[in-house]
Amino acid sequence: MAFARREHAPSRPAVLFLLSILPLLVLFTFSSAAAPPAALHNNNWAVLVCTSRFWFNYRHMANTLSLYRTVKRLGIPDERIILMLADDMACNPRNNYPAQVFNNENHQLNLYGDNVEVDYRGYEVTVENFLRVLTGRHESSVPRSKRLLSDEGSHILLYMTGHGGDEFLKFQDNEELQSHDLADAVKQMKEKHRFKELLIMVDTCQAATLFSQLQSPGVLAIGSSKKGENSYSHHLDSDIGVSVVDRFTFHTLAFFEKLNMYSNASLNSLFNSYDPSMLLSTAYYRMDLYERALNEVPVTNFFGSVMKTIHTDLAYTGFLAAREVETPLSMRNNILEGAMLQNEASARRSNIEKMKEAQLRSDGWTEVLLEGKNSDTVVMYGLGTMGVLLAISTWLSMKAL
Amino acid sequence: MAPARRLLALSLLLLLLAAAAPAPSAAAEEFTEELLLRPLPDRKALAHFHFRSSTPAPARHHHLFPKAISHLVQKFHISELELSFTQGRWNYETWGGHDPLSTNTKPPGVELWAVFDLPSSEIDATWKNLTHALSGLFCASVNFLESSTAFSAPRWGFKSNEGNLRYGALPREAVCTENLTPWLKLLPCRDKAGIASLLYRPSIYKGYYHSQKLKLTTSKTGGIVLDQSLTVVLQPNTASGKQLHSADGKPQPSWSLEHLFNRKLSGKCLVSRSSRIFVEIEKGILAESGPEASWSNEFFELSTAPDRVLNELDHLDVQSSSLYEYDLGNYNDDEPLDVGITWKLPLIWSCSPAPYYARRFLMGSGNERGSIALSFLSTDLHKQLGGSSNDCSIKAVVLQVFPWYVKVFYHSLQIFIDGSSKAISEVLEMIHVTPSEDKLSPGTLEMLLRFPCGMQSATLILDFDKGFLHIDEYPPDANQGFDIPSALVSFPEFNSSRRYPETDPMFVSPLLENFKEENVVKSYTEVLLVPLTTPDFSMPYNVITFTCTVLALYFGSLLNALRRRIGEEESKLKKAASRPALIPMLIARLRGQKADPSNSESSPVSPIGLKLLLKVAFVAVVAVAFHYLSNS
Repeated sequence: MAFARREHAPSRPAVLFLLSILPLLVLFTFSSAAAPPAALHNNNWAVLVCTSRFWFNYRHMANTLSLYRTVKRLGIPDERIILMLADDMACNPRNNYPAQVFNNENHQLNLYGDNVEVDYRGYEVTVENFLRVLTGRHESSVPRSKRLLSDEGSHILLYMTGHGGDEFLKFQDNEELQSHDLADAVKQMKEKHRFKELLIMVDTCQAATLFSQLQSPGVLAIGSSKKGENSYSHHLDSDIGVSVVDRFTFHTLAFFEKLNMYSNASLNSLFNSYDPSMLLSTAYYRMDLYERALNEVPVTNFFGSVMKTIHTDLAYTGFLAAREVETPLSMRNNILEGAMLQNEASARRSNIEKMKEAQLRSDGWTEVLLEGKNSDTVVMYGLGTMGVLLAISTWLSMKAL
Repeated sequence: MAPARRLLALSLLLLLLAAAAPAPSAAAEEFTEELLLRPLPDRKALAHFHFRSSTPAPARHHHLFPKAISHLVQKFHISELELSFTQGRWNYETWGGHDPLSTNTKPPGVELWAVFDLPSSEIDATWKNLTHALSGLFCASVNFLESSTAFSAPRWGFKSNEGNLRYGALPREAVCTENLTPWLKLLPCRDKAGIASLLYRPSIYKGYYHSQKLKLTTSKTGGIVLDQSLTVVLQPNTASGKQLHSADGKPQPSWSLEHLFNRKLSGKCLVSRSSRIFVEIEKGILAESGPEASWSNEFFELSTAPDRVLNELDHLDVQSSSLYEYDLGNYNDDEPLDVGITWKLPLIWSCSPAPYYARRFLMGSGNERGSIALSFLSTDLHKQLGGSSNDCSIKAVVLQVFPWYVKVFYHSLQIFIDGSSKAISEVLEMIHVTPSEDKLSPGTLEMLLRFPCGMQSATLILDFDKGFLHIDEYPPDANQGFDIPSALVSFPEFNSSRRYPETDPMFVSPLLENFKEENVVKSYTEVLLVPLTTPDFSMPYNVITFTCTVLALYFGSLLNALRRRIGEEESKLKKAASRPALIPMLIARLRGQKADPSNSESSPVSPIGLKLLLKVAFVAVVAVAFHYLSNS
């Protein structure tokens, strides 16, 4: 099937385009032969990070814990959630409600619950540890509960909140994670087959800038605000004395509270639920690295742990037989899926090539123009005229006055 | 057919064996749960939860014993281990310092010590891996004890050992629900049934003191005993509790389990061998209310009739405190147990203290140097105990670990007794110092002191210099200061054991067994907060910016000087001078003078140049027009 589509390519008119696409095609024939079939989505992980220290950043912890509660409710077990909290708010001496964290002033819901498990806390929440978790490069003594043990079939939700700026996110008011660092880590994860799809959700000021360097396929990113915009807190709890939740997270939660594990709400409906007038910022989505159509992807693919079940009529006959039955089925699926993905990818890449060409041509135009006569004279004449005209304009404006 | 039958027989035999093998170990694996409640003199209540799981030998499969712990013991060859998470400080003056509970209190934060069954060369590496394993198991940053600057190996100040003990403390570690969750997961019933179901998080973390402990002991035969205990000091909810006497300003609030924990007890954890609740009435109360150990007298009344009363006998076989025991097996959902105490008359009593109150404080000012003072205040316990001869003395052992950036001058030790300076040799019997090494190891000070009995107060003073840290070594909240872990003071001549003569040989209570152990009386001092010099953390950025600017300027000018070819430039300039200048000509034209046609601008400019010129002119005209229009 993949071969048939490849044969269509030469019928396109642009010769240059064909030339550019040819090496890609050659690459594909090799890669499709060599690469293993893409894995099925078979597990979910969540990495939830609150990067802010100090009591006045209570809301960031509440944000993270709200997401923690949501993903746990939607089916991701505790051992597949890496929770990083940079400070202790629940048992903080300033907290009037010990062992409780609220994200709403009605105090209906204790986010800390009875069985929260925090994997990295306090001083352990550093850029180094965060990158180690993502890339899986730990010291050998680090226990399993502190590792992200995902594989090529994993969907990972990465949620981060804290104080950020143009292309960075502050950790503990002490160090920064830059967009390049994040992009490098994600690239490394991709190389190591640590995820199938990754959803990065960031609630900070200028969150969109954190995604600018991402290049790895299969990554979807949502930020609470665009470049130059701030993300604001939602409301203040006068009993606790600080703001308890950020607007973006508040509205995300408002969307999820209506859902359960069996809901089919798509990512598109989540993205459309963000109203800039309510957020006071513009939620930003980066979808160009993501292959699937957003209205077909249920949110539980990332925020829950809902797998596609493969139904077989055969009775359970032990491990050996089960493998025999299952392999061809999944193989077929994967090959089909893989081929489709590759075609989409090739189309996208060809688009990029075209754009590059266009840029090249415009560059050539200026070059030709300037090379036609010695550039110095042109510039000199231009300057001269400008000077004269400036004089005239001032003269005219003087006259007008 | 024959081989098949033989196989069947063999497998049956195996099955039988498999069924028989774990049976004895299952029978020996035990779990008990107990809770001790005690009213405290300052209107608070103490609750001490104690859970014991034991296994005769580590195995591949356990029925009750947590597998994670058995793995831990096997992998790290632990012969003893204690890990505690504590919030708040035990008030030795009001809550007592001489009974088994108060001598087992812990300093704020995390404290970990372990004795390994390993050759000394492997211990440090094993300790490091152990801290990581525990940090994963208990959701805490115990792994910060991994660094060699964080742990020490005291020889006799903590617990006498052959160099196979490691001790470390993290005074600032937060303690919260996430530490309790994994701790509860080690219990067979978790917090779903039995005594642990009382642990309602918001009420236990509201307390004045909260200490969650885990103690592992392995026997010679490989059996493991896991003691989990949780001690909380709570303020009973007086709003709902009845106050009978508030006239004298010291009313004791009445409380029950429901007031303290917001929960009632509806039966035991079914797999536990025994499940008991004790209410302890102190010697001080009994002295007032009379030795008749009745659960309902003129001073107080217990809400439920106890199943048994146990009386403690002190070293002179005189009855001191009483324990009222409730067996949870007798209660269920329909008849929940809500044991409590109702006070009828106001009562003032005190708990028996340790021989000295140990205090520690900082002296001096500035960010350069300071002094640490350790003070002892006598509680006149020896007089109560009867030894009052003139030449009597009381021993005290001090263990103190200093982080390396607190550079203590051990020679500067000064001792003051009752305000007057004393020669060190008069008081100090034995001292063991492990000096700190910068960024390598902490300093450890172990001292055995002997104080005269009549002494009222003693003060030990040590001077120290504050070190400098590398900019990367500062924590994010460096301005808060740095902690010096609590010092441990123990009094080896006093022990905290309590005996409860048993009437019933079948009565087994691990809690009371622990009470019976001959433990020395210990107390921890406060954690000290030392402010250190903190650099301006934006300094590196300033330095980078300045350096870059200077470098750029220097580099730019140097490159300019090196690369410039003056001769060529001069010749080019001459050429340019010979060419007709454009600007003077334009000026001339503007003045209305006729320019020389040979010098006209059109001749050297090619059609493309002209076109460009026209375009520029057009743009400029448009700009001027716009400017003019917008101005007018």
